[in-house]
Amino acid sequence: MSVQQLINGISLGSVYALIAVGFALIFNVLKFSNFSHGGVMTATAYIGYLAAIGLKNHITSTPLLIITVIAAALAGGFVAVIVERTAFRRLRVNKSPVIYYFVSSITMGMLLENLVTIFASSNFYSYPFALGSQIYQIGDFTFAASDFYMLVISIIALTALMWVLYKTRIGVAVRALSFDVNTSTLMGVDANFVIMATFFASGVFGGISGVFLGINYTLYPQLGKLIVKGFIASVIGGLGNITGAVAGAVLLGLTEVLLIGLVGSGLTPVFIFVIMLVFLLVRPQGIAGRIVQEKA
Amino acid sequence: MDLVFSVITFTCITLLGVMGVFVVTGLTGLFSFGQASFMAIGAYVAGVLGIKYHMPFPLAIAAAVLCGLTAGLLVGLPTIKLRRDYISLVTFGFGEAIIAILNNSVSFTGGAMGLSGIPKYTSLWLVVLSAALCIYIVANFKYSKFGRQCLALRSDELAARSMGIDADRVKLTAFLLAAAITSYAGVMYGYYTTYVEPGMFDWGVSAEWIIIVFFGGINSLTGAVVAALTLASLPEILRFASEWRIVIYCVIVLIILNFRPTGIFGEYELFAKHGRTKTSKGA
Repeated sequence: MSVQQLINGISLGSVYALIAVGFALIFNVLKFSNFSHGGVMTATAYIGYLAAIGLKNHITSTPLLIITVIAAALAGGFVAVIVERTAFRRLRVNKSPVIYYFVSSITMGMLLENLVTIFASSNFYSYPFALGSQIYQIGDFTFAASDFYMLVISIIALTALMWVLYKTRIGVAVRALSFDVNTSTLMGVDANFVIMATFFASGVFGGISGVFLGINYTLYPQLGKLIVKGFIASVIGGLGNITGAVAGAVLLGLTEVLLIGLVGSGLTPVFIFVIMLVFLLVRPQGIAGRIVQEKA
Repeated sequence: MDLVFSVITFTCITLLGVMGVFVVTGLTGLFSFGQASFMAIGAYVAGVLGIKYHMPFPLAIAAAVLCGLTAGLLVGLPTIKLRRDYISLVTFGFGEAIIAILNNSVSFTGGAMGLSGIPKYTSLWLVVLSAALCIYIVANFKYSKFGRQCLALRSDELAARSMGIDADRVKLTAFLLAAAITSYAGVMYGYYTTYVEPGMFDWGVSAEWIIIVFFGGINSLTGAVVAALTLASLPEILRFASEWRIVIYCVIVLIILNFRPTGIFGEYELFAKHGRTKTSKGA
């Protein structure tokens, strides 16, 4: 593996890390795999596109990118909160089995994807940043400017999340809730509010990753499918474990870049599947090593 | 009249797929996002055998179902012991892998261009008969020892295990039955449309089947059948609203999940044997 591939792999991994973290946050608290996250990513990527189109006559390149990311992140937060209200709040009140959360999230994801298809058509769009040709050169190695921003913004976002989770009151509440909902509710944690805040945070990550995916692969309604990369990454890292998810995502990004170099992009999914299967058999608890017990 | 016949045929093929999902998800509580890839296996195996080797139709069916079973065994055996979330992930990955393989073995499957020129052997009566037979098999499965064990597993796996149910074996049986049914559906599909391409079998199809099962109610076979018949035939009739079709489905399913979590039919069965069997909401 050359150093150039290493760089590409890490910047791809950093985008996967954003997806995986948005995914793991919800798993952490509600213990189900939230497939609606893909829909949130798609919807907010388009909202970010609208913001970018609206502002492109006033500002350009880097500031425009940053403002787009912020707009998409905020929009993602709000979309995720709406998703929580419509798809999961009542299920929680009814104490429905986990299967229902799962189906609800798939349905919500499909709903968002199809709404985007209807309102934006299934054409391909690309962001008006014009970063494509910009590259940074460090020694012999080149960074695409977009890769560089992805890496920097991902690191900032992840650091901010860690700070919130470990240094603030709301972070303590989220961690307490992920440990045991009933006990922490008895201790005076407002579960509804904390879960809403978690969804907001997950949506923020969904928004950022949506914009980056849009930059990487252009915008199309099925963009949300890439949620599966986040899913794989968070399984490799250990479901619900946030640092594990980041590690898993970087590993996945590196593996993918390596495989694309070796066998071509067409057969990469086959090898990823086999690797994942072997990994699940050998170490089902993931890198982080804490197994989440199925409710007995 | 041709239109009506084709609507009925497609509806029956969807019904076959939904039956597969009903066994896996409705009875056993496993989520398979790769169910449609068994359909792909069935369609492609039978299609390639029919075109390249001029294999007679019944033999092609047998070969395709056998291949579906083998693939089901390959995926099922290692994954069935894992957490339920992982099963959905692995089946999803399996679906992606199958599509990638189909896209990349151009000389055999035609790649992304698809496989065309499959002989048209599927007739209306064959499909209707197959669907009826399949419903009969699944209904009997539901009330057999295996079916009851599946339901017990779905509600509470730990309790079921402690009652001496061999959970892994039961899950694998259900998974294989579903794989066989779905690959058969694939053969029907391939020999009806005479053309298949990998994009027809992505996870969206599997998700749609799961939604149909939940629409009818996961405890009710009658519900699943009725939901499949209505949801699969309506869009063919209401072509003009095709854009909004999925949106409307999704909204309906969300409303059902929120306000009537047992689905439209709850636990109602048209032909309940031995009185009404009570089952809980599920795992």
